[in-house]
Amino acid sequence: MQQVLNGIFAGSIYALFAIGFTLVFGVLDRLNLAHAATFTVSAFLGIELVADLGLSIWAAIPAVLVFGALLGLIIERLAFRPLKGRNDAHFAGLISSIAVGGMFMALLLARYGPDTRRFPAEAFPTTDFQLGGVRITLLQLVILGVSLGLMLGLAFLVNNTGLGRGMRAVAENPHAARVLGVNVDRVTATTFAISSALGAVAGVLLAFYVNSAQMTMGFNIELKGLAVIIVGGMGSLKGAMVGGIALGLAEVFAVQYVGSSWRDVVAFGMLFGILLVRPQGLFGPRQVREV
Amino acid sequence: MLSDYSATLTLIALTAIFAYSFYAVLLAGQLSLGQAGLASLAGFSATIVVPDDPIAGLSPLVVGIPVGMAVGALVAFLLGLPVMRLRGVFLAIATLGFGEMVRIVLINAEWTGGAQGTTLPKLVTPGIAWGALLLVAYWFWRLGGSRLGRALAALREDELAARAMGVDVSRYRMTAFVTSGAVAGLYGVLIAYFSRFITPDDFGFSAAVDGLVTAVVGGSLMFLGPLLGSAFLTSVPEVQRALGVEAGWIRPFLSSALLLVVILFLPGGLSSLIPRWRSPKVDPDVSPPELAPLPARGSPVLSLTGLGKAYGGLHAVRDVDLELRSGEVLGLIGPNGAGKTTLVNLISGLAAPTSGSGTVLGRELGPIGRGHLFAKAGVSRTFQHSKLFDRLTVLENALVGAHVVSRPTLLRRLLWLPSARRDEQRALAQAGAQLTRVGLGDRAGVPAGELAYGDRRRLEIARALAGHPTLLILDEPAAGMNHVEARELSTLIRSLADDGITVLLIEHNVRMVLETCTRILVLNFGEVIAAGDPATIAKDPVVIEAYLGSDGPADTRV
Amino acid sequence: MSDPLLSVQGLSVSYGRVQAVRDVAFEAAEGSLVTLVGANGAGKTSVLNAVAGLLKPRQGKVLYDGNDVTRWPAHRLVDAGLVQVPEGREVLASMTTHENLQLGGWHRKETSAASIDEMYVRFPVLAQRRELPAGALSGGEQQMLAIARALIAKPRVLLLDEPSMGLAPKVVDEVFRVIEEIRASGTTVVLVEQNARRALRAADFGYVLETGSLAHSGPGTQLLADERVINAYLGID
Repeated sequence: MQQVLNGIFAGSIYALFAIGFTLVFGVLDRLNLAHAATFTVSAFLGIELVADLGLSIWAAIPAVLVFGALLGLIIERLAFRPLKGRNDAHFAGLISSIAVGGMFMALLLARYGPDTRRFPAEAFPTTDFQLGGVRITLLQLVILGVSLGLMLGLAFLVNNTGLGRGMRAVAENPHAARVLGVNVDRVTATTFAISSALGAVAGVLLAFYVNSAQMTMGFNIELKGLAVIIVGGMGSLKGAMVGGIALGLAEVFAVQYVGSSWRDVVAFGMLFGILLVRPQGLFGPRQVREV
Repeated sequence: MLSDYSATLTLIALTAIFAYSFYAVLLAGQLSLGQAGLASLAGFSATIVVPDDPIAGLSPLVVGIPVGMAVGALVAFLLGLPVMRLRGVFLAIATLGFGEMVRIVLINAEWTGGAQGTTLPKLVTPGIAWGALLLVAYWFWRLGGSRLGRALAALREDELAARAMGVDVSRYRMTAFVTSGAVAGLYGVLIAYFSRFITPDDFGFSAAVDGLVTAVVGGSLMFLGPLLGSAFLTSVPEVQRALGVEAGWIRPFLSSALLLVVILFLPGGLSSLIPRWRSPKVDPDVSPPELAPLPARGSPVLSLTGLGKAYGGLHAVRDVDLELRSGEVLGLIGPNGAGKTTLVNLISGLAAPTSGSGTVLGRELGPIGRGHLFAKAGVSRTFQHSKLFDRLTVLENALVGAHVVSRPTLLRRLLWLPSARRDEQRALAQAGAQLTRVGLGDRAGVPAGELAYGDRRRLEIARALAGHPTLLILDEPAAGMNHVEARELSTLIRSLADDGITVLLIEHNVRMVLETCTRILVLNFGEVIAAGDPATIAKDPVVIEAYLGSDGPADTRV
Repeated sequence: MSDPLLSVQGLSVSYGRVQAVRDVAFEAAEGSLVTLVGANGAGKTSVLNAVAGLLKPRQGKVLYDGNDVTRWPAHRLVDAGLVQVPEGREVLASMTTHENLQLGGWHRKETSAASIDEMYVRFPVLAQRRELPAGALSGGEQQMLAIARALIAKPRVLLLDEPSMGLAPKVVDEVFRVIEEIRASGTTVVLVEQNARRALRAADFGYVLETGSLAHSGPGTQLLADERVINAYLGID
């Protein structure tokens, strides 16, 4: 049972990261490979805010959220807007976002150096709860709460607000959206901002969870994030949530029963499995485009 | 100092080979990122079989290289089977995932040494590295002018049009994939015995990304691309070092920024800066290939019974019966959305019927994926919104059209066999003849994307004709043409019919249809509402109403 | 005589090297119904898209309400009251009827529930289908939805692109009845149609396009009776 909970905590972070990915893909049909860099940079920033500026870890979360949104706007401006209208935009977007991500990581290296950073020990609350033989720390609850809260907030935004309707319109039919008077450029920028904000919070939450941040955390989660969105269905918010949690749980069980060194394979096992059986993912669109 | 340069030179060669493995799939328009995983498997497999001592005076690599390439090719084939049908981003992610799985499996395996890695003797000299590179570059150079190379370029530009020209898309995609695997395998073996120490982590995500970046920076439109990309990217850190830029963060920052600049402003990569030499000239003394004679007038060409296509609840085409015989020019007219293009997609094998049946030149209409077989059977077509291969020249477009009547040349080109040149020339003659027929003979070297509109339509026809079709389907060929151009087109179509080609013509220009066709079929809402010869159709009130519209419920005037 | 509300001058539109529209001019006085007819490929949709800000014209000017709006993007034009109902309706199939209507007022922060309710009164069939995904509606219902959606934006000029396309004759009657009502309420209508007869009968003024250029123009009834127009369609000399 403890394991199940651990799986859910880790899974909620995966889900939060993946939802940023799938949001951009769903609305704009683009894969933003700088998302992992946003994740990593925000983790380091979170630690700096707490360790050097004395912020409480709770305050670090909204700070990082805003920072992430700014990064998202920069990514959109540098890597995607200049490609508008080009017929190789999909492919070029992958490369340009890799490039911008690389630039972020280099700047990260400049500021923090290559070593792992940690939170100061006293930054974390020590409260924990016992529930029927299972131990949950306050920190874990907050991670779960923030993740779920943000994801549900996003779902609410997309389904119930004007902006969300605009995003869904652009996702389904950008031409029709334009005809309707939707400001597609503004919706695009906002989508990137939201997506990166979520990715940034995921980064700082993971840093909380493992009490460290290192340069390689981005690669690792990027691949898992990609696996999650394929399993869940590209462009499906529900899919990213379910897929993320499923991955968290699956990993925990794999470690339990097979061995910890095989943990990372789980994501790809799921990925290939889904691609063979149901390529559009669990919640993906019904049919792949025909002639 | 000298050994420094020797290492750099070798590294340039090896990085270029790795980039070629990406190039091999980019040629076909696929973004596969599993090459690092393939290289890893090949490298580690080679460590098992490569002996410690030379064999008969030859380097032990003589065993290692073929094994590595075979492993790379085989695994690529196995990976390709499930993954080939994925497109674009999905393919990239799946192959990336594959690479990651390989890394983890190998890290956990004992025979690779796990994270500790394996130590190996240094067997790769700059000579061997450059020798291998030159062979790989040679292969891709010869590929460029071959039938296969052109088919890959076509399928990268427009898969559907390539299929309609008879290119077996799945098979060629797999060929590119397997080639990529073999080249990645070669790289894996060489880098192992150059670095003298490898771990599975060396072939992870960042290695895959580096390889992709090299291929993209160099450019995937020309065979020198990977070499240029490798030379450039390997020298950037050297230049930075020479300029006193310290290691640390500035170098990766500048490299990434450079990558961004290249992709934004130089989409074809560095190799796009090299002026392309023009296509080979057509040798006037060589005659077109021996082509099978067209069927006799009056023999059946196509037969449709109750044919229908429904998308969900929407009937695009409903219950169409049609017989077409050789020598006819059949016009298909009807208002917008009447189902004409859908019907034609069914006939040319690019869509599958949901009801009824039909036979075209002996081929049963059935599930899609076999579209290229219709081209082989003698069906050729143009598209409503022109689907030219824009980055290929006019002549190359026509050459792709001649795919079904020309012979594969790559293997013979590698050996510079004269018979390959003869076959190429024959294909060129065929393509050139069709270009002349439509009046584009003097624009052969122009990239198709730069043609004026009328010329684009004509090139589409020339391309379709290059395949020596029995049935030629023209989908709105006169769209956007003025009366004079339309009349010229009409004359051309009649001359084609005189030559024995059966023509099926979709057009909105009703006057042109009335002048050109021997028989006319009128569609509305997916059904045939009238059929007959031009004179009858022109006066048919049902037809007139379908076009001009009715006046409303109370009015029955025509 | 006051200036026309909408005036298009010397409009040329190209897609890459393809010139789809050459030097087209027309105008619409406030409260009138003007129609652009012509065979397929004549360039009608391109003209409308250029006017609606979805395409940048190569040359020419679009004047609306005294402003030069040639380079204005679509969302700005919608804000200003120039709204298009596109060819093929383009309803958002995965969103409900109600949500599609809400999108009609996207740019207006205060799209009141009241204006949407007005649409439900006017188009009862939409009220019945309120929570259904728009993709489940019939062709005619989708056309009504597309029109209602545009009306929520409170347009002064409504551009309609082939509203009768693919619809059964009875439904086409409905559509034209609605168009008449819209015109009667004071909205200026620019109607592009393949169904030339209906359109010319309804219009105050008509323009006939042939392969991208203006071939004839005149009051609707006059063009209806004009043999040349019919021949332009059927291509008979």
